[in-house]
Formats: sequence, structure tokens, C-alpha cells
Amino acid sequence: MSKEILTGNELTSGATVYLSAGGTWVEGLHLARLFAKEEAAERDGALAATKATGRVISLEIEEVDVVDGAIVPKRLRERIRAAGPTAPLTLHGQAYDRQHLGEDGHVSI
Amino acid sequence: MYRYDEFDAAFVAGRTAQFADQVKRRLSGELTEDQFRPLRLMNGLYLQLHAYMLRVAVPYGTLSSRQMRKLAHIARVYDRGYGHFTTRQNIQYNWPKLKDIPVILDELASVEMHAIQTSGNCIRNVTTDQFAGAAADEIIDPRPVAEILRQWSSLHPEFSYLPRKFKIAITGAPHDRAAIRFHDIGLQAAVNGAGEIGWEVWVGGGLGRTPMIAKLINSFVPNEHLLAYLESIMRVYNRYGRRDNKYKARIKILVHEEGLETIKGQVEAEFAEVRGGVLTLPSEEVDRISAYFALPDFAAQTLTKIDVAYESIVDPAYGRWLDNNINAHAQPGYASVTVSLKPVGGAPGDATDKQMEVVADLAEKYSYDELRVTHEQNLVLPHVALADLRAVYDALVAADLAEGNNNLITDMICCPGLDFCALANARSIPIAQEISRKFAEPARQKEIGELKIKISGCINACGHHHVGHIGILGVEKKGGELYQITLGGDATEHASVGKIIGPGFEAENVPGAIEKLVDFYIAQRQGADETFIQAYRRLGEAPFKEALYGTA
Repeated sequence: MSKEILTGNELTSGATVYLSAGGTWVEGLHLARLFAKEEAAERDGALAATKATGRVISLEIEEVDVVDGAIVPKRLRERIRAAGPTAPLTLHGQAYDRQHLGEDGHVSI
Repeated sequence: MYRYDEFDAAFVAGRTAQFADQVKRRLSGELTEDQFRPLRLMNGLYLQLHAYMLRVAVPYGTLSSRQMRKLAHIARVYDRGYGHFTTRQNIQYNWPKLKDIPVILDELASVEMHAIQTSGNCIRNVTTDQFAGAAADEIIDPRPVAEILRQWSSLHPEFSYLPRKFKIAITGAPHDRAAIRFHDIGLQAAVNGAGEIGWEVWVGGGLGRTPMIAKLINSFVPNEHLLAYLESIMRVYNRYGRRDNKYKARIKILVHEEGLETIKGQVEAEFAEVRGGVLTLPSEEVDRISAYFALPDFAAQTLTKIDVAYESIVDPAYGRWLDNNINAHAQPGYASVTVSLKPVGGAPGDATDKQMEVVADLAEKYSYDELRVTHEQNLVLPHVALADLRAVYDALVAADLAEGNNNLITDMICCPGLDFCALANARSIPIAQEISRKFAEPARQKEIGELKIKISGCINACGHHHVGHIGILGVEKKGGELYQITLGGDATEHASVGKIIGPGFEAENVPGAIEKLVDFYIAQRQGADETFIQAYRRLGEAPFKEALYGTA
């Protein structure tokens, strides 16, 4: 049964973030709050509260599966957003790290 | 090179201060994201998948070593130690933080650069031939006109809210290295019966979801009337271009739907009104700006020819580099050097801060302090003495910048794709990396000869797939990535749009598909001199399709 999560980009760093069960916006997909379909009202309330902070932008509702306890976004785009770019960096042979929150990048609703 | 006058400096400083204040107000909460978004886009600041992306304008792809060092400094201090050179001859930084943008723009302004009009429905950075002012086949150096167009189009109040973005390319040579027939307006130097130099004006070209080859709207516009003529086109487009549907808003759709003759009639009517007015280019002003682009005072050279065959025996890698990465220069004893940003397995167009520093040093020491960015995502040292080529090559080898693959199969154009871009449907960079690994062997690349592969991760075609001899378009299908292959595209004066050849391929099968096409071409060509695109035009689509899919 698929669920939904809320995701966006934190204002100052642009980093990909997820709404956690505790009401904070965090980097880790595994900490994302899962909304069941019947929790649409709560989901929309969280979206509205987040918009009111002005600190998380490009807000989206994403469908996910829970596979062996892990949250897996249905869309490839979202899997890449969660993990960072897949292409190795020129000359260094290492994966690009994703963006991280700065000291001023922590947002709660 | 052009240097800012007091007007340029004042408007860039003013805009930088204005945007710094807007960022401050956004961070304080005084501005909402809805209010801020159009302001940041006007200053080249996008939000991509993982972070903000800042697109910095490189006017007509020309840089000094001082400017390149500043780009390296920004990459090192405010980003992740690299930058991505684009098909618009610009540079993009993929990881800047919003709070750092004002100081980055200050740093750029200190070397006469900015990010204005690198986004939005305005006239974007004018692009040109990367060998402008150096190429042996050039009629005229297009950079003075490109600079005049930059000044005319910068913050032009009438053209800041066009129906859609607008791109102009200009070349002074008959061989089109600037893809002018795939721009909203393309300009090509022309000579009339009286021996005067003016401009062919092409209109309504473009790529994206509706690729079109531009149409010749005027075969000779005198230099002094060029601005008036272009302003006439812009006015017709601004008046009649569609604003109800962004997919039909580019001038190519207007020209296609209304017909060239209708548009031409409207442009001519407008031109009749404005011709001879304030937009007439005074010859003294043209001369003043042209003086900035005067050729360097070239030192006389005793070495005027390189024995590439000999050098290839002594050092095959150097020989390959001479063979492919050197372009004929108008000045005896000199050449233009293409610095490849396409190492095997690398991300096309990426350069580290250290590499940028190396190229800046080489420009200062060996190329009269000039650099170019190419629309094929490489760099150019435009004026290098033949006697200095070996020293330049050795320095490039030490910086991992000496791939001798210009115009070969591994010299691909590639957009950032789904690894970075918020619009993309599929990844592009990993596809380019796998293809370059498959064809890494230099002897194989030489055997294949000139072959342009261009890869886009969505239909917006930033990777120019429509004009690749082999184009690759990533699409989304059932939640996964699929890659369509097109054949027969050409961005030059022999412009053509590639055709989809058949069903798409999974990512892991793309390099193999390319190899089948290449093997078929080699088997069928009439000799090593017949290039892939020539063979395709001679043989047609069907046998290539058969070779790829085995449908018979």
C-alpha cells in the first residue's frame, strides 16, 4: 500500500528536506513522516503550516512505497533527490554528495 | 576584449546591490517565495533538484584570464570546486547557497561579469563562433556586433517580458560553428554586390519540443541598420507571439503559423518606420567598440607549419591532439587550440577550479590573455603560436585537459539531465560517460572520424539532441528511463533535424546501439573521408534502421 510524504527544498541551502514525524524538516528520507491516503487533511495542514514559515520551498507531495521497512519514492526523480546525483564527479571518481543543511537551515512547523 | 564603461559598471553594480537587498528581504521573511522567485530568476538563480543553481553569463563566450580565475575562485570558495560550461557558452554552479549569492555577484561584478538575463523571457546571452576574430575562414569578426547586441538587449525595457525567452547567435564565417539556424535569430556575415559587409538574418529556428530550422528573412542587412532591423523583428514577435501557451510562445511557432512572408511583411513595415532613426549605428561608435576587439599585436613567428605526421610518430597522443584540437588561424604562425572538457568517463563540460586556473594561466602566457567557451562545452585558447603548442599541450596533460578528441565520438554535448535538472525526465551524464568509455580507444575514435553525439534528458533539448548526427533523448516511460535515438541532425550551415529511428533503448543498451550504428557506417562508407553524416545522407534512414533493429 503506497503512502505519501512531504518534501521540499530548504530556503537557505536549497537542500532536499522531508517533513519528519516530529514536525521538523530533516535531510533523511528514512525519517520522513508517512501519510496514509485517509490522512489527507493532516497532510494538507502540514503543507499549509510549512508554507506559512516561508522556509521550505518547492513543496511537493510524493508517493512512496515501504519496502522492507525502507521508504522508497515511486519516482526515479525523487530517489535521485534523496540520494544525490548518480554520475561520478569528473576526475575524482566519487559520487556527488547531496546538499546539506547549513547552521541556519533547520525548520520546524 | 571589451571593457565596461561607466554605464555598464553602474547598471551591474546597481543590479547587484538591488538583488542583495532582495535576498536579505527574502531571508528575513519580508518577501514570500512567490514574490522572490521571479526576482531570483531574473538574476540567473534557479532551484534545481538538490540545490540552487547560478547561471553566469559569459558574453559571446569570451573571457579574460582574470575572469576565468574569478570563476575558479567562486567554484572553490562558494561551490564545490567545479563549474559546468553550457551550450549557451555560460557557466553554471550547481551548489551555491542563497545567502552567498550577493557576495558571488559582487565577486563577478569586480571582473565585469554578472548573471543578469540568464533566465526569464528576455533576450539571453548572445552566442557566437568560438574562433571569432581568429578563424582563417572568417569574413568579419562578429564580436563587436555581439557586444553591441549585448548593450542593446541588456535591460531593454520593451523586451524584458517577451512571450518567451529569446536567443540570438552570430557568426562571421561561412562555416557555421555557432548553430545560428537553430536560434530565434541567427546572423551570418554576408557580402553584397558592392563588396560591403552586412548580415544575413535568419529567424524562427530552435530546438526544444518543436525543432525548426530558421528561415532566411533578409539576405543582406547593412551593419548600420542591423539594430533597427532586429528591433523590428522583436516588436513583431512581442506584439503577435502567443502568450496563452508557453509551448507555442517561441518566435519559431509564430513564423511557422503565420508564414515567413507574413512575418517578413510586418517586419519590413516596422523597419520602414524605425530605419534611419535612433537605432542607426554611428560608424564612430562601431569603430569605438571594434577597437576593443582589435587583434593582438602578434609577434612574428618563424615556425609557420607543424609536421603533424612526424609528431604523431614521435608522440601519438600529441599527434592526435594536433590533428583534432587545432584550428587554422588567420595569422601565419598561430593556431586556435580547443581545450577538451570531455575526458573519457567525465561529465561533459565540467571543469574543476584547478583546471580553470591552469587554462587561465595558459591564456595569459600563450594566448594574449583570451579564452573562449564553445557551445559544444569545451574551452578555446584562440591565439597560440605554433611554436608554443607543445608547451601548452604539456601543461594541459598535467591538468587532465589534453584529450585529443575534438569533433570525435567522445566529444559529446550533454545536458545535466535528471542528476541535477528539475525539468529532466532521464539522466544524461551517465549515458555520455558510458559511451565515452566504450569508444575510449583513440585508434577507434580516429577510425570513426567526425561524429557528433548530442544527449538531452528531456524534450527541452538543452543537449541539442535534434542536431546530433546521432541524437539521444531521454524520456520517462512507466517510471523508468528510456532513450530514443535520432539520426541525421546537423547544426551547421547544412542544417537538418534528426529523425527518431525506432523504439527507444534502456540505458544499459544505449552504448551497444550506438556501436551498431557506427559499425554499420564504417562498413558502408565510401572511404575514410566520408563522414557519418555524409554516409547517412547518401544511404538514407532505412539501412541504419535495419542495422540497429534487424527488422527485415
